[in-house]
Amino acid sequence: MATKDPNKSKKSNSLYASDATIYPRAVSGLFAMWRSIGVLILLGIYYIIPWMEWADRQAVLFDLPNRKFHIFSLTFWPQDFFYFAVLLIIAAFALFFFTAIAGRLWCGYSCPQTVWTELFMWIARKIEGDRPKQIKLDKMPWNAYKIRIKATKHVIWLILAAYTGFTFVGYFTPIDELAVRIIELSLGPWEWFWIIFYSFATWGNAGFMREQVCIYMCPYARFQSAMFDNDTLIISYDEQRGEPRGSRKRDENPVEKNLGSCIDCTLCVQVCPTGIDIRDGLQYQCIACSACIDVCDGVMDKMGYERGLIKYTTENTRQGKSISLFRPRILVYASSLLIMILGLGYAIATRIPLEVDIIRDRTRLFNETDTGLIENTYSLQIINKDEQAHSYTISASGINGIKMRIKSNIIEVASGEVRDIPLRLQVDPYDLKARSTEVMLSVIANDNPDIEIVEAARFLGPTRQR
Amino acid sequence: MADDTLPTCQKTVSVLWPAFLMAGLATILFFTAFDPAVLLQETRFADVSRLGAYSTGFFLFWLLTTSSCALTCFFRKPCNPK
Repeated sequence: MATKDPNKSKKSNSLYASDATIYPRAVSGLFAMWRSIGVLILLGIYYIIPWMEWADRQAVLFDLPNRKFHIFSLTFWPQDFFYFAVLLIIAAFALFFFTAIAGRLWCGYSCPQTVWTELFMWIARKIEGDRPKQIKLDKMPWNAYKIRIKATKHVIWLILAAYTGFTFVGYFTPIDELAVRIIELSLGPWEWFWIIFYSFATWGNAGFMREQVCIYMCPYARFQSAMFDNDTLIISYDEQRGEPRGSRKRDENPVEKNLGSCIDCTLCVQVCPTGIDIRDGLQYQCIACSACIDVCDGVMDKMGYERGLIKYTTENTRQGKSISLFRPRILVYASSLLIMILGLGYAIATRIPLEVDIIRDRTRLFNETDTGLIENTYSLQIINKDEQAHSYTISASGINGIKMRIKSNIIEVASGEVRDIPLRLQVDPYDLKARSTEVMLSVIANDNPDIEIVEAARFLGPTRQR
Repeated sequence: MADDTLPTCQKTVSVLWPAFLMAGLATILFFTAFDPAVLLQETRFADVSRLGAYSTGFFLFWLLTTSSCALTCFFRKPCNPK
């Protein structure tokens, strides 16, 4: 995307000053409708999910105090971090994939910053009115009317922000208990802290900082241009058709006045949430929300001109070349995504809720017992990652006549518990073929033979004397 | 120095914000590997709840990453007056 440095542009620089507030005008149209649908679905998901139940517990609960994540029927432990890492890589590749195809779809339709900003702007418009009224209100000296309007807006914003913060913490502590304790004012200090912290973050980000978050704070905004090529969808003003711009009456023939299609009504600038002029070309600040497309199409309709003076297009289309969807970068992103999603799905579907680690006693390689057997000492770690307790049977194999010395080979492990069990393996030296032999330790749940893990370990012994 | 042209607010944000992101990442990685309840059980902080330990850990990480970001800014000052 364009490389215009926001710090060098006078306008952007002044964004840090309070005088450059942007008042985006309300817009309706095809893309505005899609964004509203997106906003409603995403907000619905966010606010409803913590209240969903699954088998007597909260369906989605990232239970930090108990160190386990519940996602519907699945429970993840810190040992399952691998899945989380793969999930994050999948999310990153999905972002790359959609960016390469359709540009900043994420920014325009689904980024939380956009979603909550839309919601907050909608509330502001309901209370203060649209752009002209908001500008007028802010210019007005402080009086009873202005105080009343502003106070109403902030009270509603703050209530919504507080509920957002409460919901956020509800993903980490059971939300029904949280609701009860908040009414009783009996929350722990850190729960208070995070609810208030997140509420203020919502209020500040969606109410005040808005486009500045995208311009100054968002890392994705800075590197998304790396995924762009000449076939990526961008929002673009058709300069050839629009210029020379100029105002005219509806019945005037633009050709006679030597004018292009742009009537210079500046509505595209007024609706822009980042306050840029799309007619200046592709800019880093553009979050591809397509508000300018909607508003310009409306103007074109009124003027009786063809729609699409500002439209989704690609660099190649603009130059009259054909576009191709199947280009190397798309194929690479798509195939990596597909492989990782299938892999993760397979890994989670076949995941065994049990983890076994074998640690050899490092202080000595082996012992010889009184009866002449060779003995190796191990520490067996069993982690029960299932929702219920299990008793497991431990057995050893791999060498003829291998014996296991253990307190009890049936071990009870509670849900989420980690048990360390010392054990010794004994082998007749005549059965040892090499200095290091592979042995297998099997841990199997007594109530469910599907929960079995066989873990390999090395058994060390003396070289066989011939 | 190029930085002098930046508003103070942007300078502050450019130190605090990346530090915040990395502190969040460090907190996730650290507490995935180490359970604070186990780490603290032999110390005087044994009664601190996990949520408290995570939060305190996050702010300590943030302090650390902020110091690092701030030092980077500090050392970007040119050594020669001209």
